[in-house]
Amino acid sequence: MFNLIRRDVILQKRQLLLFIPFILFFIIMGKHPAFTFLVASIFIPFNTYAYDEKAETNILLNSLPYTRTEIIASRYLGAIIYMILAIGVTSLTLLVFNKPFTMTDIAIGCGLFLLFAAFTFPLFYIFKPGYIFPVVLICFLLLSAIGPAIVTFLTEHLNAITDFIVNLTVTSLYTGATLSIMIVYAISWGLTNIIYQRKAL
Amino acid sequence: MENVVEFTNVTKKFKDFSVKNIDLQVKQGFVTGFIGANGAGKSTSIKMMMNLLRPDVGEIKLFGLDYKKHEKAIKERIGFVYDGNVFFEGLNMKDIKRIVAPAYKHWDDKVFYQYIEKFELPLNKAIKTFSKGMQMKASLAIALSHHAELIIMDEPTAGLDPIFRRELLGILQELMIDGNRTIFFSTHITTDLDRIADYIAFMQSGELVFNQSIHDVAENYAIVKGRLDLLDRDTEKAFIHVHRATTGFEALTDNTKAVQNIFGNSVAIDRASLEDIMYHLKGGIHHV
Repeated sequence: MFNLIRRDVILQKRQLLLFIPFILFFIIMGKHPAFTFLVASIFIPFNTYAYDEKAETNILLNSLPYTRTEIIASRYLGAIIYMILAIGVTSLTLLVFNKPFTMTDIAIGCGLFLLFAAFTFPLFYIFKPGYIFPVVLICFLLLSAIGPAIVTFLTEHLNAITDFIVNLTVTSLYTGATLSIMIVYAISWGLTNIIYQRKAL
Repeated sequence: MENVVEFTNVTKKFKDFSVKNIDLQVKQGFVTGFIGANGAGKSTSIKMMMNLLRPDVGEIKLFGLDYKKHEKAIKERIGFVYDGNVFFEGLNMKDIKRIVAPAYKHWDDKVFYQYIEKFELPLNKAIKTFSKGMQMKASLAIALSHHAELIIMDEPTAGLDPIFRRELLGILQELMIDGNRTIFFSTHITTDLDRIADYIAFMQSGELVFNQSIHDVAENYAIVKGRLDLLDRDTEKAFIHVHRATTGFEALTDNTKAVQNIFGNSVAIDRASLEDIMYHLKGGIHHV
């Protein structure tokens, strides 16, 4: 299964050359470090889907001695591995450019990436090839456009929830967030697995 | 004799098409040609053989094993070649090998490079720059480099020029020198099969019409030509399909001996080619 994860690098050799300029763009534009971590993490896993949405790729992978469970597991584990690598590289680049960032930025970047992955990965196996990229792009834009507004709305109108969150200690807030994200990611993994098992190739 | 592939009463339904009650055995150590018109259900059957599709009803076993429990063990022993290129088209042969090779326990680099040399394939050029024939050779080189016991090919000769088709058939013949190998391939170019097939499996409108040795097919099936007045309700029973013209009839039988007994020398009996059989059965199988 490690081979399936390694495959992404072989496939994206050329695109990886773009990786550094890609992060640099966000750094030079003065984007928030958390946002830079997020887009850097998205780079490899979502690029892979550009290949994997093709029917032929699924036929190839399924004709090789891999089970469907392994193929999906490689997607979800691969996303985490590439996220860690991307964060390492991004942190180094930020250091080199002398841009300050905190562990909180990394945590927020990671958390958002995992949530985004959890919501979009199943879509790749539900929608027909060709429709997925627009769908994901729209999701991403909508989330970034409406997301903050929703949060602001909630903080203003749902005092019970905000009070609850504000009163949490930093530790329990972090633990709670980590746990919820892990649960959402695991549910997404299970769901995608079920969808893929039933998929006709 | 052992069966490498066994379909027992396999049915798969789609919205507007279905494959029904397939009982198919592929014998070890032989070449089985899988024929049928476009849309007869060949690709669906091959996809089920590769576990890309799962049957609604029935059982599929490869090497006596079930896909539910032994998916990886089964696929380790299969080499596959599909009609189109399934490899990442932007990659070169070297990178494709890097992706495919680690998937197999018995991948053999030496064999792979032998085929690369034999087929004169460039290692550093993207697959998409290959001609159709070269892509076919590339798929074949990959399919043959992990000592597969069963080679499954879906329309490997489609879109190839006659010279390359013959070359391919030569390669397949060479493969069969190793007595354990089994080749199963679908085609609608029936002349390919006269050269190398030992068995013929014939699909028609989602059903398996027959699966016989090429010798039995030649012996049992025949094209019969004669005067129209020889036909009546009883004599027609010997035929699967009758084509009437003002000058006489042409009919297909799957029982040459019976036709000889009924008509004697009053009709002309010729060997039926696979194409004749496909043509006469195009409306489905029902005795007239």
